[in-house]
Amino acid sequence: MKPLLLLWSLAPLLWQLYSSLITPEALVDPAAVAAGSFWTLENYRQLLVASPPFWRPLLNSSLVGGASTLLTLALALPCAYGLQRQRGALRWAATLVLLAAAMVPTVLLFLALLQLARSLDLGNRLLALSLPYSALNLPLAVLLLRAAFAELPAELEDAARLEGMNLAARLRHVLLPLLAPALGSTAILVFLSCWNEYPIALTWISRPELLTLPPAIARIAGSSLFTVPYGAFAAATVLGSLPLLLLVLVFQRSIVSGLTQGAIKG
Amino acid sequence: MSPAPSPRPARRQHGSAVWLMLPAFLLLAIVFLGPLLQAVWLSGQASSLLTGLQPVANGGANWQRLLGDGRFWQDTVFTLRFALVSVGLELVLGLAMALLLHRPGRGGGLLRALALLPWALPGTVLALGWRWIFQAPYGPLNALIQFLGGQPYGFLTTPATTWLFAVVADVWKSTPFVALLLLAGLQAIPAELEESLQLEGASRAQILRRLILPLLGPWIRLAVLFRLAQALGLFDLVQVLTRGGPAGSTESLALYAYLQAMRFLDFGYSATVVVATFLLLAVLTLLGWLLLRWGRGRERDRQRGRPVSPAAAGGAG
Amino acid sequence: MLRLPPAAATAAWSLRRLPPPLRLPLLVGLLLSLALALLPATLPALPQAPATTVRLLMPAPFVDATAPLVATFNREHRELQIELVRGPLDSEAISDLAIGSLLLGASPYDLLLMDGSWTARYAAAGWLEPLETWLGDDALAGLMPGARLGNAFAGHLWRMPLTADTGLLYWRTDLMPQPPRSTAELERIAVDLQAAGKVRWGYVWQGRQYEGLSCVMLEALQAFGGRWWEPQQGSSAGRTSLDSAAALQAAAWLEGLVHKGISPPAVADFAENEALQLFAAGDAAFLRNWPYAWREIEKGGGPVRGRVGVTTVVGAPGQRGGGTLGTWGLSLLRGSDHPREAAAVIRWFTGPVVQKALVLDQGYAPTWTSLYADPELQRRHPLLEVQRQALEQGPLLRPLTPLYAQLSDLLQRRINGMLSGAETAAAAMGDAQRASEELLASTSGEAAR
Repeated sequence: MKPLLLLWSLAPLLWQLYSSLITPEALVDPAAVAAGSFWTLENYRQLLVASPPFWRPLLNSSLVGGASTLLTLALALPCAYGLQRQRGALRWAATLVLLAAAMVPTVLLFLALLQLARSLDLGNRLLALSLPYSALNLPLAVLLLRAAFAELPAELEDAARLEGMNLAARLRHVLLPLLAPALGSTAILVFLSCWNEYPIALTWISRPELLTLPPAIARIAGSSLFTVPYGAFAAATVLGSLPLLLLVLVFQRSIVSGLTQGAIKG
Repeated sequence: MSPAPSPRPARRQHGSAVWLMLPAFLLLAIVFLGPLLQAVWLSGQASSLLTGLQPVANGGANWQRLLGDGRFWQDTVFTLRFALVSVGLELVLGLAMALLLHRPGRGGGLLRALALLPWALPGTVLALGWRWIFQAPYGPLNALIQFLGGQPYGFLTTPATTWLFAVVADVWKSTPFVALLLLAGLQAIPAELEESLQLEGASRAQILRRLILPLLGPWIRLAVLFRLAQALGLFDLVQVLTRGGPAGSTESLALYAYLQAMRFLDFGYSATVVVATFLLLAVLTLLGWLLLRWGRGRERDRQRGRPVSPAAAGGAG
Repeated sequence: MLRLPPAAATAAWSLRRLPPPLRLPLLVGLLLSLALALLPATLPALPQAPATTVRLLMPAPFVDATAPLVATFNREHRELQIELVRGPLDSEAISDLAIGSLLLGASPYDLLLMDGSWTARYAAAGWLEPLETWLGDDALAGLMPGARLGNAFAGHLWRMPLTADTGLLYWRTDLMPQPPRSTAELERIAVDLQAAGKVRWGYVWQGRQYEGLSCVMLEALQAFGGRWWEPQQGSSAGRTSLDSAAALQAAAWLEGLVHKGISPPAVADFAENEALQLFAAGDAAFLRNWPYAWREIEKGGGPVRGRVGVTTVVGAPGQRGGGTLGTWGLSLLRGSDHPREAAAVIRWFTGPVVQKALVLDQGYAPTWTSLYADPELQRRHPLLEVQRQALEQGPLLRPLTPLYAQLSDLLQRRINGMLSGAETAAAAMGDAQRASEELLASTSGEAAR
């Protein structure tokens, strides 16, 4: 069964890899192609010399992802700490609000956010994207971190408080080090989510050199650059998947634990 | 905000903690609440090119138009159908996947990571890939069909069935998410319970039905609620895979709202479609939550050994 | 040249691995770099060109057809360079791309090749620069009367047309001595030919639910004396009259074509290519299509090659028919840094030289009256005479309102439903009228009604 699972998960991606490395003629009719003109790196070359070159969207996505992750953590950490300290109705209400916000399909917010971008001139500014992105990821981040705070023994913080540490010091020296795994999981999940966000990036960014990865791919999908298509499209799929693929493979433990812990405690 | 060294009374401690929550909730209000309220307000305004994109009150004209809008209702049917079928399939396949991943063995981490991959990748990237896989006549699926002697099929160009293949693409992407949630639930089940049932001679299917499924109940419903909400907001997949075609058969409500604003510049009506989608989401969530309470009631009754009846469950839930 | 905040992206997950004393300084460093990156909010795109570059967004076929001429222009004009930007395959997607930028107040292109049915929308949104200041008040003077339509309204010239295609009627010269002069005649000839077994189908056209159907419907409305849109004088407001008797007759006629078997039921799924394929295979007596179809038939070498005549679209007996105008033209986007140079490019690009190349390469109808008398064009482009007649006869402008795209969507939906058997003609037109009125009410506010 497990090989079947692997096949199910990987087959489409492997097919993209295969398609990206063969010539258009081979894509259409593999049998009819001479030996020398089967494999090629031309598809990738086309992407890298396009205007803008394909590494641009990857860079933009990393920039926005990093900034958004930092902002999200900066806001979520104190919020989760404060939430954990609440009891009763306020805690229940706040949690409900966060859950409701986590369930809202973010695409439905696009119109008002577009008008926000227009009136505040936030359009075509990569780092301005971190504002909505942080908000979109706050619910998940707060819930995950709140669960992590709940795990910490209360005596630890009480002891630190008795020693005269204020909140900032307590956070820095006592809580954050213990929270490190949860922080890592949350950071990865937020970063992933920002990389994959589409509607807001689509409406807030129009200049080709500033596009993040999903809208850049969508533009490639709609382009008429290729007569026999999909060789370069497949290459775009592969290059677009590569960074996240590496991320997931390296941090899979963090991701899985973050999601499962969050589900259990949230 | 530095407290005095002495232990502080509980009330003041909670008070300062509330301040800590403020910045985050402020941002949430700006990005979630603001747009929602604005959409509701805008749905009672005309805001289009005829009004210079300025809001002008027009009573219920937008809603009257919505009621008679064939395209809106067609999109609603598609979105609902898509969401229900998609989530249903994801539940079944997700459970299977979770059961598989539950007993990792060697290389469990790697397996888990690879199974997770479709969920972690950007939707537009995967949609682009699926466009090729489904392409007629050269895509790999059609190549397989032709190899087996059939005729190429227009997976994405046959209005009656394109939505099914959009479901396939979505199920492939989202099943790992459901699987992970269910995995969390599986890991919360003490292993001894399962082992003791096995020693009693129960088959795997019986263990599944009697032990695992009931205990997984809360996680199943959580996964369903979340996935349903996400599926109602379907946008990325249909925008790249089919652009809402062919003949508008895969145009989701979110895509319709988007087109109204970004192509027709009819902001007032776009807001109306957004609010209608929210209403649909709210109704479905409410139904789901009621189902959850009813289910919980049944569970409680079963655990207490009471006969499970709808009336009892309704009262106890 | 690139300003990268050092390790901004990698710090997110390495921060937590560092020992506590290092974290604060690194955090400060990160924030500083982020602030630095915020200052120029955009990354520099391409190095500055020495000359003024005018960027022009066009569909790919136009880019291919005009690239050689543009290259020559760029060589001859050192101080003014034209950069052609290939747009997406779908023409609607080109508009989406442009609108996405314009809504954010950015305008990466100076010029846009605009479909005639978009002009009112862009002008109403304030995205177009009036052209009469640069091109003069008589810019349209040398154009055929029909080609002038749809470019100047509300007191300004918004678009300089590049092509002047109209819908045309294709007929089989080997099956009839003369083309029909009315819808009744067309029906009669078609039925006779079908009965005699000469062709399988009488008349094929575009009935799929898309913009092409709106063009066909417009022609049908005109043919029976109906009107889609009645503008109010002096404003962009107006009303639809889809429930008039003439409009009902028009819809009933289209419905009747399918019921009587003159047109195949599959016409409800036909776009230009499907209808053309059927006709080019010899299975139909009449085809409604655009000028490009002629080249396809001649190039294709099929059974009807050399046996096809082209004439103007017919009306009902006693009515004057007309073909829908399907034109492309150049507009100047507001926000362009060099409007004067861009206007100069418009003048050159829409001038006779480029148009002649487009005629010969792609078969588009030119706009300049002088080109219709050009001997080389007359010799090499057989459709020229028919296109001239169509432009003089009075081609049909699609409703000149910013709401056109939505009005068209409404009508397409209903008519296609009628063709698929879901509604009768009367019900379809009644619904279309009602829906159009609701659309107008919803978009114009109570004050405007």
